[in-house]
Amino acid sequence: MSSESSKKRKPKVIRSDGAPAEGKRNRSDTEQKCLSPLAMILRPPQLCGTEGKYYSEEAEVDLRDPGRDYELYKYTCQELQRLMAEIQDLKSRGGKDVAIEIEERRIQSCVHFMTLKKLNRLAHIRLKKGRDQTHEAKQKVDAYHLQLQNLLYEVMHLQKEITKCLEFKSKHEEIDLVSLEEFYKEAPPDISKAEVTMGDPHQQTLARLDWELEQRKRLAEKYRECLSNKEKILKEIEVKKEYLSSLQPRLNSIMQASLPVQEYLFMPFDQAHKQYETARHLPPPLYVLFVQATAYGQACDKTLSVAIEGSVDEAKALFKPPEDSQDDESDSDAEEEQTTKRRRPTLGVQLDDKRKEMLKRHPLSVMLDLKCKDDSVLHLTFYYLMNLNIMTVKAKVTTAMELITPISAGDLLSPDSVLSCLYPGDHGKKTPNPANQYQFDKVGILTLSDYVLELGHPYLWVQKLGGLHFPKEQPQQTVIADHSLSASHMETTMKLLKTRVQSRLALHKQFASLEHGIVPVTSDCQYLFPAKVVSRLVKWVTVAHEDYMELHFTKDIVDAGLAGDTNLYYMALIERGTAKLQAAVVLNPGYSSIPPVFQLCLNWKGEKTNSNDDNIRAMEGEVNVCYKELCGPWPSHQLLTNQLQRLCVLLDVYLETESHDDSVEGPKEFPQEKMCLRLFRGPSRMKPFKYNHPQGFFSHR
Amino acid sequence: MERAVPLAVPLGQTEVFQALQRLHMTIFSQSVSPCGKFLAAGNNYGQIAIFSLSSALSSEAKEEILHFSLAHDGPVYSMVSTDRHLLSAGDGEVKAWLWAEMLKKGCKELWRRQPPYRTSLEVPEINALLLVPKENSLILAGGDCQLHTMDLETGTFTRVLRGHTDYIHCLALRERSPEVLSGGEDGAVRLWDLRTAKEVQTIEVYKHEECSRPHNGRWIGCLATDSDWMVCGGGPALTLWHLRSSTPTTIFPIRAPQKHVTFYQDLILSAGQGRCVNQWQLSGELKAQVPGSSPGLLSLSLNQQPAAPECKVLTAAGNSCRVDVFTNLGYRAFSLSF
Repeated sequence: MSSESSKKRKPKVIRSDGAPAEGKRNRSDTEQKCLSPLAMILRPPQLCGTEGKYYSEEAEVDLRDPGRDYELYKYTCQELQRLMAEIQDLKSRGGKDVAIEIEERRIQSCVHFMTLKKLNRLAHIRLKKGRDQTHEAKQKVDAYHLQLQNLLYEVMHLQKEITKCLEFKSKHEEIDLVSLEEFYKEAPPDISKAEVTMGDPHQQTLARLDWELEQRKRLAEKYRECLSNKEKILKEIEVKKEYLSSLQPRLNSIMQASLPVQEYLFMPFDQAHKQYETARHLPPPLYVLFVQATAYGQACDKTLSVAIEGSVDEAKALFKPPEDSQDDESDSDAEEEQTTKRRRPTLGVQLDDKRKEMLKRHPLSVMLDLKCKDDSVLHLTFYYLMNLNIMTVKAKVTTAMELITPISAGDLLSPDSVLSCLYPGDHGKKTPNPANQYQFDKVGILTLSDYVLELGHPYLWVQKLGGLHFPKEQPQQTVIADHSLSASHMETTMKLLKTRVQSRLALHKQFASLEHGIVPVTSDCQYLFPAKVVSRLVKWVTVAHEDYMELHFTKDIVDAGLAGDTNLYYMALIERGTAKLQAAVVLNPGYSSIPPVFQLCLNWKGEKTNSNDDNIRAMEGEVNVCYKELCGPWPSHQLLTNQLQRLCVLLDVYLETESHDDSVEGPKEFPQEKMCLRLFRGPSRMKPFKYNHPQGFFSHR
Repeated sequence: MERAVPLAVPLGQTEVFQALQRLHMTIFSQSVSPCGKFLAAGNNYGQIAIFSLSSALSSEAKEEILHFSLAHDGPVYSMVSTDRHLLSAGDGEVKAWLWAEMLKKGCKELWRRQPPYRTSLEVPEINALLLVPKENSLILAGGDCQLHTMDLETGTFTRVLRGHTDYIHCLALRERSPEVLSGGEDGAVRLWDLRTAKEVQTIEVYKHEECSRPHNGRWIGCLATDSDWMVCGGGPALTLWHLRSSTPTTIFPIRAPQKHVTFYQDLILSAGQGRCVNQWQLSGELKAQVPGSSPGLLSLSLNQQPAAPECKVLTAAGNSCRVDVFTNLGYRAFSLSF
């Protein structure tokens, strides 16, 4: 290869060196002289003849036949081989004339080499030419190919356009046209043009569309007419409304003007009317209460007055959008979920708000004022808790005269306890609606009793007055305000309320003197006691429920379930000489229908209680069980004081009849002053505790 | 033992009254029916309740009280049972009831008798009844300081035994000879011969220094006898006496006045102030003290009817509405309640 390339370069150098074509020709001329006949074949005759001026191998190539060149090449190679072999032969023979012959042969082989070179160049040129031709042909083919592609694309595009056109949908197809028969029947002939359109569906469709347009235009016209009509009517209504509203103030002024006349004629027509107007906004239970209480007041009890308090506007506002409130509820539920997720620290505040919402009162409340004989008034305010569906009451007692409040009477008239246990067991600290417990669980209220001071007490009788009846067994039953229930309880409850207030007021007065050590005995109860009573009440104080429970001599009462926390507890101390009688008193809120219960402890010659002295037990029995004879005239407000006075008498009897101890010198501490038939009786050696009135002696029961 | 849980519910008027009545109830007397299956108990309100011992003692322990009725105006201080009748007494009258009818509701008394009292401002009570089976008679004693004998056949009062200076608390019959012992508020135990209707012996207990307790008084509250022996208690100490020699042999060391005493086999059972039933040896040793449910006991009853061996129990009642039942002498099994 390297030899080939060096061979190739050499002619080029020569060519570039001998750039002038003349030199070349010259050389070839000189060469021609020394060319062998064979070498002459190489030179094409035409070249020399036609282009005499310069020699171009490129042109020569076209003229020469490659086949012949190939023959030439073969022949030259053979000649070279022969010459080489002869030279080698001559050299190996060696001789004097050999050198000349070798020289000759070397010249011949040089010629052949030249021929080979020439042939090589020609071959190169041919190759180049062939390449150029091939390239040219390829470019042509490429251009054709591109053209073909363009054409194909154009064809495809056109096909697409065609399909698009084929698929086009006209808008009129969506329009719901009247049916064909209807069209021909109704459309005027100038539109339908039956003769043209019958055969041509295109024309037919156009005609139908025309008809449609025509019809729509007509309807639009009609619509506009209706609108203007409506406008006119609205205006008329407006005018009439204005007229009506201008009527209202005029009527009002007439009403105002008539007021003095009403007053003059003692017809509180307007006032009552107003109240009824307000009453319409009361929630059902309060409305029932209002109606029944008013009715009862008018029919049976003139001392009962009924009024409605609170803001009517708020109540109205409550009732206007009932749907909205429901939405609010569901919203707030969703909100609650979100907030619990998002804001944990404010959970407490949220719960607080929910609690407040749950315990919300209706803005209106009903006031009942119950006047007692001595001009003291019981004010009852009834509220309705909307979300709990229960009613509560707040009570207040006002008296005609200013009362000096004894210390021990603190709880007697307090709003918290004055109405406690009006009916047995009705302490008003638990909600009467069983469904409420579930609601409380949601917002974390343990019992209603924590809120009772603020909300009022939900006594059972209050629910009944409001016509609310809560069955014990079915917490889900719907609760409907019922007039008959309210009516059936109105009278008894009102009477109970009056009795309660009177007995509390009576107690209030009695306590004042009890605290000063005086047991007030009214003249109509005087016959129950002997004229001379030596034992004296020295102390009368309240005690706490817990303290009462802890006293050692009250266990029996506690065990018997008579010491509930709704009761009031007192301690009395009765003295005579060295003997001190402690009496622990349970005052049931239902006083005076339920008697106070006494437990005694005597400190005299040792401590004596019902467990170690039968007579102390008997004394307790005398005041607790035989209380009915101590009640005095109805309504037995004197019971407590009579019981205390009776205790003083019993203590006298106990002390005076105590058997004298023979072994002890000196006079008895308590000489017997009472007249007794016998000192002891029966197996348990009872003392004569029974007082016989006109005769004034004591006997056994 | 069975402390009732205080009721949380405040009570109404009638409930409060009933609770108070029960609280201040005293059961004075008990008597077992001749069949041994029923127990009658009388209280200070004049009510008599009939309890079924057999059903209370059965395995189901069902309904104990059969029914109770208002029998007397005053307290029922004493009751005894004959083979057909229940005799009850209290406010000066003795009433007879048929046991067979007592178990039904609305039972009426069979008869009622009042001993001939010397007129007085108040009717004296009858504190003790005693049956004398041999002559089929009943001895009544109480507020008028006399013993009245009544013939149960005819219902007439045959004898009056006078001698006590204060009212009589208790009676006891000496089974061999027709003699009756009586103890009273005057502090004397008197022995009466029924044939001659005369007082044969008087023991003034309070005069014996060993047993006298002047701060408690003289009264003899309980009495029991067994052949030549007699035990009595009350204001003076509980003492065992030998009757023939009229000497106190054993003084039982108990401070509280005793209200009921009885011989049981070789033991003496006594009860009084205090919760316990005391069991004494004759020598004076305290064998046992069995606590009951009442703060003070007034009567003991031993059901020894041969007809109902399964109901052989000791019952004790006193200052409460409960009758304690002791199935053996060792402990209180349960209480029957009014």
